[in-house]
Amino acid sequence: MTGIDAKQAASALSDIESIAKRVRQSRIYNLASLMLILWGALTFVGYLATYLSPRNAGYAWPAVYIAGIAGSFAISASGYARTRTRSFDVRAFMALLLFIAFGIFVSWFGHFTPRQLGTFWPIYFMLVYVIAGLWVGYAFVAIGVCIIALTLIGYFFVGDAFDLWMAFVNGGGLILGGLWMRRS
Amino acid sequence: MADLDDIIHQPLRLKIMAALNALPASAGLEFSKLKKLTGATDGNLGAHIETLSKAGYVAVDKAFVGKKPQTTVTATAAGRGAFARHVAYLKEIIEAAGPEM
Repeated sequence: MTGIDAKQAASALSDIESIAKRVRQSRIYNLASLMLILWGALTFVGYLATYLSPRNAGYAWPAVYIAGIAGSFAISASGYARTRTRSFDVRAFMALLLFIAFGIFVSWFGHFTPRQLGTFWPIYFMLVYVIAGLWVGYAFVAIGVCIIALTLIGYFFVGDAFDLWMAFVNGGGLILGGLWMRRS
Repeated sequence: MADLDDIIHQPLRLKIMAALNALPASAGLEFSKLKKLTGATDGNLGAHIETLSKAGYVAVDKAFVGKKPQTTVTATAAGRGAFARHVAYLKEIIEAAGPEM
């Protein structure tokens, strides 16, 4: 049997901690990536519907949220069979409802124009990505910051095609972010 | 005092066990993911997984996903126990060395 000294032991423990951290982050990215792709696709459809038929936006977005929540539960159930970890559960659902409720509250008090609403919601959602990313992984920060920046560019500089711009920026951005997370 | 586990102590095997131990029980990692995490080559990783498997520390599951073969490695209960004892041994060495380390 080989003996080791304290320096080697400390180095081995540091290796263990480092790889465990990478595994935990990789699992978070893996679980989050499908959710991002799902919400990205739905957001794309939501903005596209708003662009093509602004009058029906009030129907499109609740449908997006309902489909997103149902899809999130389905992805979580499918992932649980493989990983024994739930990525979306009742607690996450309640948190999302509270988050959306507060957004509606702010939107109602703010008397936003449709364009401002289309800017507020992605920034509001991406803010959570940025804050969560500070703990769970910088990919979330990068995705959040990029989408916020592109949303603001759209708000100030893109004319009538703002909703189309947002379909690609917000929807496409989440899809690309999800694909990027799957690879990392 | 716990003993040093010669099988786990080898640097690449330590990384493999550390990665698998970070997962919930019964969850495994695909070979390609382990390769990425450890930075090992195919042959080297395969040989060390084989050593861990012979010791009963990991279970190797080979299956086809579509037409692609997929190898999944999972830490066994014995492997998790051995890894925990090895980590305890490492901590004891550091504690025994005292604050001057």
